[in-house]
Amino acid sequence: MTDIVLSFHVHQPFRLNSFSRLEEHPKKLFERYFNEELNKKYFEAAAKKCYLPSNSILLDALEKYENFKVNFSITGTFIEQAKKYSPETLESFRRLVETRKVEIFGETYYHSLASLFKKKNEFKRQVEKHKEAIYRELGTKPKIFRNTELIYSNTIGKEIEREGFEGAMIEGSEKILGWRSPNYIYKAKDANLKLIARNYKLSDDVGFRFSNRGWKEWPLTADKYAAWLSATPGDIIVLYVDYETFGEHNWKESGILEFLKYLPKEVLKYKNLSFANATEVTKKEVKDELDVPFNLSWADLERDESAWIGNKMQKSCFNELENIAEKAEGEELENIAGLLQSSDHLYYLCTKGQGDGDVHSYFNPYKQNNAYENYVNYMNILQDFKHIIKTKGGKA
Amino acid sequence: MIGWEFPPFKIGGLGTHCYELTRALAKKGVKIDFFMPKTKYKIDAPWMRIVAVSPEVVLKMKGAVYKRKKSRNIFDAIEEYNENAALVLEEMNKKENYSLIHCHDWITARAGMRAKYLTSLPLVVTTHSTEFDRSANLNPSSWIWGIEKAVFDQSKRIIAVSNFVKKTIMEKYSIDGKKIAVIPNAVSKNNFKYKATKEQFGWDNKKIVLFVGRLEIQKGPDFFLRAAKKVIEKRKDILFVISGEGSMLPQLINLSIDLGIQNNVRFLGVLPQEKLSQLYSVADVYVLPSVREPFGITVLEAMIAGTPVITSKTAGAPEIATHCLRVDFWDTNEMANKILAVVEYGALRKEMSKNAYQNVENITWDKVAEKTIGIYNEVRK
Repeated sequence: MTDIVLSFHVHQPFRLNSFSRLEEHPKKLFERYFNEELNKKYFEAAAKKCYLPSNSILLDALEKYENFKVNFSITGTFIEQAKKYSPETLESFRRLVETRKVEIFGETYYHSLASLFKKKNEFKRQVEKHKEAIYRELGTKPKIFRNTELIYSNTIGKEIEREGFEGAMIEGSEKILGWRSPNYIYKAKDANLKLIARNYKLSDDVGFRFSNRGWKEWPLTADKYAAWLSATPGDIIVLYVDYETFGEHNWKESGILEFLKYLPKEVLKYKNLSFANATEVTKKEVKDELDVPFNLSWADLERDESAWIGNKMQKSCFNELENIAEKAEGEELENIAGLLQSSDHLYYLCTKGQGDGDVHSYFNPYKQNNAYENYVNYMNILQDFKHIIKTKGGKA
Repeated sequence: MIGWEFPPFKIGGLGTHCYELTRALAKKGVKIDFFMPKTKYKIDAPWMRIVAVSPEVVLKMKGAVYKRKKSRNIFDAIEEYNENAALVLEEMNKKENYSLIHCHDWITARAGMRAKYLTSLPLVVTTHSTEFDRSANLNPSSWIWGIEKAVFDQSKRIIAVSNFVKKTIMEKYSIDGKKIAVIPNAVSKNNFKYKATKEQFGWDNKKIVLFVGRLEIQKGPDFFLRAAKKVIEKRKDILFVISGEGSMLPQLINLSIDLGIQNNVRFLGVLPQEKLSQLYSVADVYVLPSVREPFGITVLEAMIAGTPVITSKTAGAPEIATHCLRVDFWDTNEMANKILAVVEYGALRKEMSKNAYQNVENITWDKVAEKTIGIYNEVRK
């Protein structure tokens, strides 16, 4: 029997204001740095196109098929925005969780790269904050961890174990698996932690290739996809994509929502397939230990951290963020420091030229579609905030 | 090829373009007779024959000459040159059997059209800028528009130096886009290999913000100074250096005094190649705030010299050289904001400089020549 670990990533960052050094800005820090109008616009559009219709499809399927289960990672910043801009979206997630067949993963509250900071206290703070938010809003306690963009290494594994998690989602990349299949349970090196690897080929068939008319498998239908799954050997298949794949990255007209609707039924037609929550599959036999001596992620062709801290601009911002996180004290400053850490802000500074650059610019929400412009704006904000921390008497 | 300015006699991008293009074409085996006005300068271009046009030459050749009245008006001088160039071209074609005529901009357009009429040879025109650009769209001359419209109509193909120019030709001159090929300018790495230090310029411990271009309304030098004022309010150790000549010079000097920033502004005039290269190399940032900029060859020059570039959103060069910051020319607040950022954020400077250089290194005159020959082969048929 092969368990399908169907997982969706749900996140919205707080997008930044245009922040010139020559203009006056609001005194209240949140309004000073974050663009409420843009955030509201993006959230409402995504709720309408993706969250609400997709949640409704999943809820129907969960009620209809006993053996259908799904998993979600939902960031803290998403929950904050849902509360503000679309309470019905949050309510629809609650209803999903109430079926008891939906597992929520742990992660950093702000979808940050705090796991890569030298000191680990900021990472710990954000993981705790996320746990609290998930328990408060959705009434469940995460047991499996997914770090931002699936960034994982042996070192991070130890931190995840220390936070009390049983397992972690990682990218099923050949870089660490070598000849081994992603479709089994592994254990971490130096940590008591199960590793659940994403099958990126089958995930990307849906996440990246679904609407690609140049792809030889286009159009992808639920029955064809289910047949592939059934023919895939292994104990598990982890399908993990951005939730916005459904209705946002692929428009409704592409048939993506129909695909989601018919997938449970088509999969459950096969005797050798079922759906599972991530915690359940950690009980399966461990095949091997995985050594991850470097930072692995699910992004770009490199599958490393270079999408966020690859070039000098990104590194300089990352250093500032680390510096700021150490100095910010008190709830307001700590929260602003966290919101500024959302990895999206670093992602928009990517200057990679070819294929990957296109993905970067697709996600870029700002008017100017240019890494340098984004850097000027982001760095202006970080410098301003640093100055404010200093004058408000943060740690020297 | 019918030209106008040519190094060392040059004020703008047209001269650079003709120099680099003919050199690259000749390397690929294209034989060129280059027509230009006779000047006192010695032209060093052994790859082609220079045909220096003057009334005396025409008189000798044809026994008659087109001579406009005695006035020293630039428009009369242009008209005289155009008419005479066409006469010389007709005469020379009898021996040389040219394949085609290639002219540049309105300033040589009438020579091109007249020569086409006299010889029945196919005509190609390269458009570096249109009247709407040079006048900053404020008060375009309908007389020049008429010349441009005529040469666009009479040419077999039109070469535009950017999509921006192509769009203008289509919209303002009602020309079918299929007739227009976009061949952007390039930059020659060797011309910008000369480096210097700030000390050599006497600018120790200063940040240098550079403007290079004709001091005309089209290039927006006044916006440069207004942004400078705002930057200097934030920090004093910045010099705003202006290299170029033009009719706005007195006005700009006055403006810098009115703004109270004269101690932070330097006017250097037009510099020879080596010095210009050195100037780029010491600048922390290059700013081109053009009101309208069909291409902006200095953008490529700054980039190949490793200097980060801020340019107005209208400029054509960033269509191919993308690693720069863009501003609205009128938004001097944003211009100042970005100047401050480039001056203060080392990571930004390094990243822009490195990526722009790698990008521009591949934009060569060799490739421009290749595409131009493609056009030649088409029209010769």
